[in-house]
Amino acid sequence: MTHRTRPYYVPVANEEAVFKAAYRQGLSILLKGPTGCGKTRFVQAMAYDLDRPLVTVACHDDLTTADLVGRYLLHGGETTWVDGPLTRAVREGAICYLDEIVEARQDTTVVLHPLADHRRQMPIDRLGVTLEAAPGFGLVVSYNPGYQSVLKDLKDSTRQRMVAIELDFPPADVEEKVVAHEAGVEEGTAAQLVRLGQAIRQLETAGLREVASTRVLVAAGRLVTEGLPIQDAARAAVAGPLTDDPLITAGLFEMIDAYLADEERTSPQD
Amino acid sequence: MVRSADSPARLRLLASAIAGRPVEVAAAEGGVPSWTDGATIFVDVTGATGDQVRMLSVQAALLGAGSLDPEVLQPMLRRPSSARRYLSVEGHRALAERRHLLPWSVSSLVDDGVAGRSASPAHSLALAMGGAEIPEAPEVFGAIHPRAVVALRPADGGASQHVPRRARDPGLRELDDEEEDDAPAVDLFSSPVGGGGGLGRLLKKMFGEGRSSAQGPPGADAPTRWSRRAAGVPRSPTVSSAVAAVPEHTATAPFTPLACTYPEWDGIRRHYRQDWCTVTELQPAPAERSPLAVPDTHGLRRALARLGTELERRRRQLQGDDIDVDAAVEARVAVLAGSMPDEAVYIDSVRHRRDLSVLVLLDVSGSSGLPSATGAPVHEHQRSAAAALGVTLAELGDRVALYGFRSQGRSAVHVVPVKRFGDAMDALVLQHLGGLVPGAYTRLGAAIRHGTAVLERDGGTARRLLVVLSDGLAYDHGYESSYGEADARRALAEARRRGIGCLCLSIGAGADAEALRRVFGTAAHASIPQGELLSCVVGPLFRSALRSAELRRRAWQRKARTTERLVVEGRTA
Repeated sequence: MTHRTRPYYVPVANEEAVFKAAYRQGLSILLKGPTGCGKTRFVQAMAYDLDRPLVTVACHDDLTTADLVGRYLLHGGETTWVDGPLTRAVREGAICYLDEIVEARQDTTVVLHPLADHRRQMPIDRLGVTLEAAPGFGLVVSYNPGYQSVLKDLKDSTRQRMVAIELDFPPADVEEKVVAHEAGVEEGTAAQLVRLGQAIRQLETAGLREVASTRVLVAAGRLVTEGLPIQDAARAAVAGPLTDDPLITAGLFEMIDAYLADEERTSPQD
Repeated sequence: MVRSADSPARLRLLASAIAGRPVEVAAAEGGVPSWTDGATIFVDVTGATGDQVRMLSVQAALLGAGSLDPEVLQPMLRRPSSARRYLSVEGHRALAERRHLLPWSVSSLVDDGVAGRSASPAHSLALAMGGAEIPEAPEVFGAIHPRAVVALRPADGGASQHVPRRARDPGLRELDDEEEDDAPAVDLFSSPVGGGGGLGRLLKKMFGEGRSSAQGPPGADAPTRWSRRAAGVPRSPTVSSAVAAVPEHTATAPFTPLACTYPEWDGIRRHYRQDWCTVTELQPAPAERSPLAVPDTHGLRRALARLGTELERRRRQLQGDDIDVDAAVEARVAVLAGSMPDEAVYIDSVRHRRDLSVLVLLDVSGSSGLPSATGAPVHEHQRSAAAALGVTLAELGDRVALYGFRSQGRSAVHVVPVKRFGDAMDALVLQHLGGLVPGAYTRLGAAIRHGTAVLERDGGTARRLLVVLSDGLAYDHGYESSYGEADARRALAEARRRGIGCLCLSIGAGADAEALRRVFGTAAHASIPQGELLSCVVGPLFRSALRSAELRRRAWQRKARTTERLVVEGRTA
């Protein structure tokens, strides 16, 4: 899929330069970063800049090699080969983005090895052919190192074929811009939401599985755009998704009240 | 909305966020300005919520900005008046430093003029000790009690550590009631996944101390305190579903003592002594002693998660990676013959469901009461290993049973079903486990035979595993050295022959490899100096035990089939 306008992405450090350099050199890219920090958006923006189609695969537990590469299907008396998304990207020279690659089974990720290193080939044993990656093909995988699933990790042999770019939640000023732009709220509201988000991120060890991502802040902002009071929006979009635990929920509500208090009552001095 | 308006604990997350580490919030005694001891922030709860938030935020910002590090506070121990001046400067500086995390109502407290005068806590300290004019701090800043902070956090300690109460300011005794109320809230942090977190580790340390201090330091009022506190632990909603509330039926079910007899192998005469040992199942001791802390299962989960789940290729699936040629040909034939073809013509590879039952046998003989190399009794190492294994496997969805065993001669081999296969892995189990006291001797063979029988009867799965946690000293009346060892070996071999994987672990006992070999024979076994290493050895051990059991099981099944056929043939002939 290609976008007509550039997907909104505000660079934080040199990630755009690294990405483009690695892409031009035919190196595969490993994006690390917490859920909802903008990994997917970043790849979309890069694909736009580089003018390549983007093939995205959301990896899951049961993702098999055949799901990526393709398989034979039976139609009447005929077998037909159907390319998988990875094969399609290899043939077309698209950027293939494997989202949350650790979710995929380890035996599946091995298929990436010849593609990810200098060979840039994909052997398809079911067809008995080896595809050379078309010019422009790029492999990008993302992975969330702090993901709750402790059972899963990326194989070293896979990691070492990649160039790593670490993303994190953007700094407050950038994040305010992002929230304001994406949700269409005023800067003051965005700043309040971001401050709440920053505070919740300090709680990383406190029994919350995930912290408030930019994504949930944007969601809260969008509810505000629809006319919801900001506290209600944050309760629904920030506190609710983060936890089911009544005690933590109560604590989060308390934080929401403290950080998103009506501006008239407490005019900011700074 | 779930919150009790009066409890200041509801502000705990807010305080932790600003401090950047877990802190507790409790009510200060009437009228006292807000203060903190480094682990808990005490605020006056009589004021409006907005004021509470402000008071709390100042104290939390002080914690987060390093203003209350013991090294900084040390010089103020002797000059309490300087603490007030220090707070007036450092309070502003800390708030300014944490400004990006403060609610707006709080960030308006910052006086940048004052904050700008200091660049660090040490700088503020120098200002406070000097003679410069410093504007009085607003009332919401509360107070700093250097003595309380330093008492709780010795200069070398990192994040909040626990010290016995006697070391605290004696004026704070009543506060413990508040802490008691907060106990369930504390447990939020001991979630099975996040147990490695700061407060999770702290809790673990606290419970660990609690147990060892039960026989320990003079003057510490530890036991009751700990037991009350810890009793809250398993109630915590985040601990996991496996450690849910104590179910009524297990608590009240009438207990029927069960006695079975088992043979014993006489290695000297090389024959079995039939019905030689009587094994009695005893009711677990009522849980008066402190229950075990919820174990940290992080590392173990990783090691054990993949056990017994292999990929399997399934034919004739509706979807899959490859075409199942046989099915495809049949389908084609069906079409050509004019009938409805079966559309399931693919081969899929799917992961097995876990299919494992594990029985953990815990040696509670007198010898396990001996101290280990690290100081704590071997028994404690084994007990926490048993708890960790039990909780982990139960969380992973395996069937788990936990039995303690000891003996006093062949007619009195006692096993204590801490957790039967049917019981839930709950608070009661950890309580019972905590209540096991080492004593008497080890008739290993009889215990293993009983474990094997229970596994066969109640395990209910194809893969079965017997885990023996013992120091490897097989000793009882008439069960000395080589005789006992031979019988234990024999019992393990019997179990394996029936397709039950056996695995023996000696933790902290310092038994040498040769001695373990004599007792455990060719069963998978390992000796580790301390429980923390469990996760390193347990994966390969479990796998090897399961694999050897698998081989035996197949051989056994083949033999059984052959016998059956012979019987049938014999009948028809």
